[in-house]
Amino acid sequence: MTTQDNNENISGFTTRLHLDKHISRRFNEELEKVRTLVMAMGDIVEQQVNDGLSAVLNADETLAAKVIERDKKVNDMELAIDEYCTQILARRQPAASDLRLLVSVIKSITDLERMGDEAVKFGKNAIKLAKGNFAEEEGARPLVELRHLGKHVSETLNRALTAYAQMDVEAALNIIKDDNVIDEEFDNISRLLVTKMMENPREIKNSLRVTWCARALERIGEHTTNLCEYTVYLVEGKDVRHITPEQVNVKMKS
Amino acid sequence: MNKIEIKQDLSQIKLTETVGNIYADDAKMSIRHANVFYGKKQAIDNVSLDLAKNQVTALIGPSGCGKSTFLRCLNRMNDTIDMCRVTGQFMLDTQDIHAKSLDPVLLRARVGMVFQKPNPFPKSIYDNVAYGPRIHGLTNSKTELDEIVETSLQKAGLFNEVKDRLNDSGTGLSGGQQQRLCIARTIAVSPEVILMDEPASALDPIATAIIEELIDELKEKYTIAIVTHSMQQAARVSQHTAYFHMGKLVEMGKTEYIFTRPSHKLTENYITGRFG
Repeated sequence: MTTQDNNENISGFTTRLHLDKHISRRFNEELEKVRTLVMAMGDIVEQQVNDGLSAVLNADETLAAKVIERDKKVNDMELAIDEYCTQILARRQPAASDLRLLVSVIKSITDLERMGDEAVKFGKNAIKLAKGNFAEEEGARPLVELRHLGKHVSETLNRALTAYAQMDVEAALNIIKDDNVIDEEFDNISRLLVTKMMENPREIKNSLRVTWCARALERIGEHTTNLCEYTVYLVEGKDVRHITPEQVNVKMKS
Repeated sequence: MNKIEIKQDLSQIKLTETVGNIYADDAKMSIRHANVFYGKKQAIDNVSLDLAKNQVTALIGPSGCGKSTFLRCLNRMNDTIDMCRVTGQFMLDTQDIHAKSLDPVLLRARVGMVFQKPNPFPKSIYDNVAYGPRIHGLTNSKTELDEIVETSLQKAGLFNEVKDRLNDSGTGLSGGQQQRLCIARTIAVSPEVILMDEPASALDPIATAIIEELIDELKEKYTIAIVTHSMQQAARVSQHTAYFHMGKLVEMGKTEYIFTRPSHKLTENYITGRFG
């Protein structure tokens, strides 16, 4: 999600949550700031995931180093937003949708930070893969698969952040339902890499590195699903974690 | 499913029906179609709800919403106001408390009340608590009365602080102690229901915490309805919450739902401190 999209989403989020309607104007500003900070953190994490992936696929060591360095910023944002939310909880004792906003933010930033950590894994593996010339030799086919999985995960993350920004429950639920697609793609790529390893044991190290990258993408997919679950909780006050899609349907109708 | 719009046009919200659940599985009091008029002005408009037995029900809402008026109907305190007219059915177990045959004084022994400002009688601590049992003739002997005074003060969490000065004046106690004395005085006549009208709003945070802790203990024996302006207090002490707005009961439900995901926009606006 670009900053421009972000700005367009502000009004939707603010009006749906009535963030501008508190008697205390300062409280309006505080919640608005939390929202802006989370969206900014989402932007950076999305960029980290995309850059990390691109560093792996293009054997780009410079970009990989940049991703590793930028993770500090993600960590700092997590700490800052956590502290800010704690302050609001202590001072305002928020209730109902305000409370759900803060709870969803506090949980979301943990998942965002973990996604940042996964992006760092891309960076580290990208540097090693680049040194091993994997892309030019055995790696062509696995990297194509990885690109495919990466594209899917990256798009899903983008949709999830947009759904969060626009408080779009329908979009969030669709992403939750599609979670198994990423799992299946991850299984496919794992199978392919196991075959590669058996065929050419000299490339086991590099094949494992690609496996770890695929695994990182699968984790990012899981964290993305979590974000969507928090979006549903924020808007509807309904907890859709750890239940089957059928149970989700029943719960949403109740 | 469509995108959820929290925003609603307030002018289109109908208040004729209460959102949520007004019924209790085990109701101590059941009020149906309550209306209260002060002269021509209607203060309560068709309110129905149950008070669940041995639980705390919080009545919340902005000033002038009718929550105190409603509370006062529950032990016929409004009888004393000439221009006040009350209609509807107010059942305490199987007894209609607004029946003409029922003596309001006896009713008030069964349904006690604690007020915002501690109002001990200008008498000794002992006499404050002993007053009710005496006028209702609940005891035959001094020993029995001593026992009632002691257990009432104990239940109100005050006994240890005043046991050596039971003959001192009740008005010499601190605000929080006075309020607990009033609670002891209320429970001395073994009521079934205790009504509390902002019992802690004149107290400091520590005395408030003590009263809230006490409310939690008292619910084991009594059914409690509390009017409070503090949303946090309602969230802390009650199991059920009823939100009043302009004389109507807008929403009622379990406290855990009302404070995390209320159904009605007006409830949401009130508990989150929004305009509306």
